Amino acid sequence: MTNTEQTTAELDQPKDTGGQRLPHVPGDSHMWVMVLGDLFIFGAYFVIFMIYRTMAPQEFLADQQHLDVTVGVVNTIVLLTSSWFIARSVVAVRAAEYDRAIRLTYLGGAFGVLFILTKAYEWTTEVMHGYTMPSGDFFMFYYMLTGVHLFHVALGLLILGIVVRELRNPRKRRTSMAEAGGVYWHMVDLLWIVIFALLYVMR
Amino acid sequence: MDVTTKAESANATRAITCAWLVLVTITIVSWWLAPGHSGGVAVPNVAITVAVVVLGFIKGRLIIRYFMEVRGAPRWLKLTTDAWLAVLWLAVLGIYLF
Repeated sequence: MTNTEQTTAELDQPKDTGGQRLPHVPGDSHMWVMVLGDLFIFGAYFVIFMIYRTMAPQEFLADQQHLDVTVGVVNTIVLLTSSWFIARSVVAVRAAEYDRAIRLTYLGGAFGVLFILTKAYEWTTEVMHGYTMPSGDFFMFYYMLTGVHLFHVALGLLILGIVVRELRNPRKRRTSMAEAGGVYWHMVDLLWIVIFALLYVMR
Repeated sequence: MDVTTKAESANATRAITCAWLVLVTITIVSWWLAPGHSGGVAVPNVAITVAVVVLGFIKGRLIIRYFMEVRGAPRWLKLTTDAWLAVLWLAVLGIYLF
């Protein structure tokens, strides 16, 4: 690493104050506006799901049993592992280890793609068994929640792609950009954790 | 100098990896709690649902604090994300028990 590779944009990083780093917003405030907004909207979806579930608990529980919990668990571990790579890539960017950061971002993205493939397999299996949206409220929520979530996974992959493109360019690389991409990606993980709990596990 | 030291990097990576291990462990525990394992028909179970809510809260907080790095963020962001988690999971439990 050379000093010329340090970009001016990194000046908005907190200064070291005697070993104690100042509080710092990861990424930038624009990303947080989007993430907090998304969390709020999904939160509303989750509450609406719970209201419908409480009105017909037996029906929801019976339909829930047609989901393959093992596939849900695999999906969760795949996404958590993806986030593990991305979180470490942000640490690498901060240490100016850009090659390592790019490698970790690719790994994170690969696990994101694996999540999409697992979901595609799961949906195909459910549809082949005749469980589609008109099968009842549970499956309506199942396809709606996992579908909107999958759209966020795809958008997250696009954002990771932009992060990689910036990291490759010594004049463009910025810690805040990698952090912002990470924050978005972990939000996708956070939302999946809730979907997994509500759709697959609770009784 | 904005580049972190080797020790800082190692500490941050260790914290992230610990969080990941806890998250994966909780997920595997959830798998064991889920319906459809006993072979019979799943019946509503308040204890399991409470466990799911508590574990969901813990998982969400680990992701926010360690992966999103909110543990080093200003107070307003810590409070906002904690409020989201608390309101969501309390609402889920409240509606379930209603």
